[in-house]
Amino acid sequence: MNQVVSALFWVSLVLVLTFITLPLVVVMAASLSPTAVVTLRPWEWTVQWYGDLWTARWLDPFMLSAQLALIVSIASGVLGLLAAYVVAYEKCPGHAAIMSFLLSPLAVPQIVKGVAIVLFLSSAGLYNWLGTPGLIAAHIILTLPFAVRMIATAMFNFDKNLDRAGQSLGASKMDRIRYLLLPIIKPGVFSGMTFAFIISFNNIPLSVFLVRPGETTLPITVINYIEYSLDPVLAAVNVASLLFVLGVIFIFEKIGGFSAQIHGGSK
Amino acid sequence: MSVLALKADKRRPHGPSRVQQFLPLFPPSLILLLFFAIPMGMMVGLSFQQSDASGLTLASYERFFSDQFTLMGMARTVVMSGLVAICVTIMAYPVAYFLARSKSRWRALVFALAIAPELAGVVLRTYGWLIILENQGFINNALIWLGVIAEPLPLAKNMFGVVVGLTHVILPFGILSLLTSLQGVDPNLEKSAQILGASRASVIRHIVVPLTVPGIVSSMLLAFTMSASAYATPAILGGAGFKVLATMIYEQVLFYIDWSFAAVMANVLLVMMLIVALIGTRLEARLHQKLHT
Repeated sequence: MNQVVSALFWVSLVLVLTFITLPLVVVMAASLSPTAVVTLRPWEWTVQWYGDLWTARWLDPFMLSAQLALIVSIASGVLGLLAAYVVAYEKCPGHAAIMSFLLSPLAVPQIVKGVAIVLFLSSAGLYNWLGTPGLIAAHIILTLPFAVRMIATAMFNFDKNLDRAGQSLGASKMDRIRYLLLPIIKPGVFSGMTFAFIISFNNIPLSVFLVRPGETTLPITVINYIEYSLDPVLAAVNVASLLFVLGVIFIFEKIGGFSAQIHGGSK
Repeated sequence: MSVLALKADKRRPHGPSRVQQFLPLFPPSLILLLFFAIPMGMMVGLSFQQSDASGLTLASYERFFSDQFTLMGMARTVVMSGLVAICVTIMAYPVAYFLARSKSRWRALVFALAIAPELAGVVLRTYGWLIILENQGFINNALIWLGVIAEPLPLAKNMFGVVVGLTHVILPFGILSLLTSLQGVDPNLEKSAQILGASRASVIRHIVVPLTVPGIVSSMLLAFTMSASAYATPAILGGAGFKVLATMIYEQVLFYIDWSFAAVMANVLLVMMLIVALIGTRLEARLHQKLHT
């Protein structure tokens, strides 16, 4: 009986893990297959579809998405730092209420936030904002709560005794922020920024309302293309952008060193 | 950072003044107000207006709740999200249990496998399922080649395809939420039950599952709210035949340009989410109480 339960457990574990990896493997195989029919025979594979990516059709949206994600990640980092400083470090009066205000966008589905922003810009006559400026604003609304939460957690964990030690040794407040607080919370700031970058780069539900012809992000370009054709170049785009995201995470990790935080994980 | 500098320079014996203390909050709050709070308020207001009439009216809401098309969309959203909630929780449980209890070297690999898809973005994964499920897709081609079926099975462009895709997208969140719950269960309880002669099955049935009911509930609620508001997966895998609230909202804004009706749909979706979240927190609080008394 126990063996049966154990066997069932292992079988279900393997099945679920197969389910998780299947679409990723299929997309990779599709990106290397010579025709739209996915082949799992590696000797037939070709990288020709990756060569097709070097055209304006894919490069322009990629550049827009990458720039957008970079701006959004930096803005979320700076704004999140400012907000977290007041709420989590200074613990201003009413910090709990302010924190829930800062996190409130999380309670609203993305698609609803998207509609609200596009209706607001249109009825306020801010048509120029549709396109890149609107995308930046909308993505910041989406990513800021995550950044605030991650940076605030890092600040909550900051040992105030260090601050007192610095103070007793005569360090000014600015010095203590610069040489004590910021270096210690750096991993938290960078994990928030990395998160913001990934969310912005992959976003669909907000971007879909704000893109314009000539100013379309990569995921939206891919979705629009899927409606017409399923040729392997799409798979190549997807794999390439996944590799790009992994590269960005690697770079952010090198600068910010947040993996220690994730593995060491405070609760 | 100049704001912080300004604050530090004017140190006073009795600490910084109130206004100065709040100064760094100004930029993030302004952005939230301008691009979140005001637009949300405006959207709610817009749902009570009609372009051809002045004053407030419930006309758009009446239209929503009397229109077969929108009601069907709402029903589809609820059924789809419910199915995804069940599938995610059932599939996430064994993985979370393994991650919570295993000390083997495979643990890191399983953890990476479970969480890594989140980096790939929704488009890649949904596209992958489209290749697998469509009429000339992986599964149908294989089954036809094997001679099991003559005609392709309708696996994509319907509820089945969307539920499969959404389950895949949301599964990592389900795993993480069950993992926290399972880590809270003392493994010694299971060991002592086994020493006292309980079978594996009864340990799972009478100890593990009852103690993780709060985790199961929160995983289901998370999966429900995430799928009810998902846009990309229903749009790609559902096609024209399977419209849910999220894809209908998009069409109202960009094709029919009916802002008031779009605002109504968005509000209905939002209220639905809030109700589910409210029921969820109540239920979780009650379950916690029950477990800890």
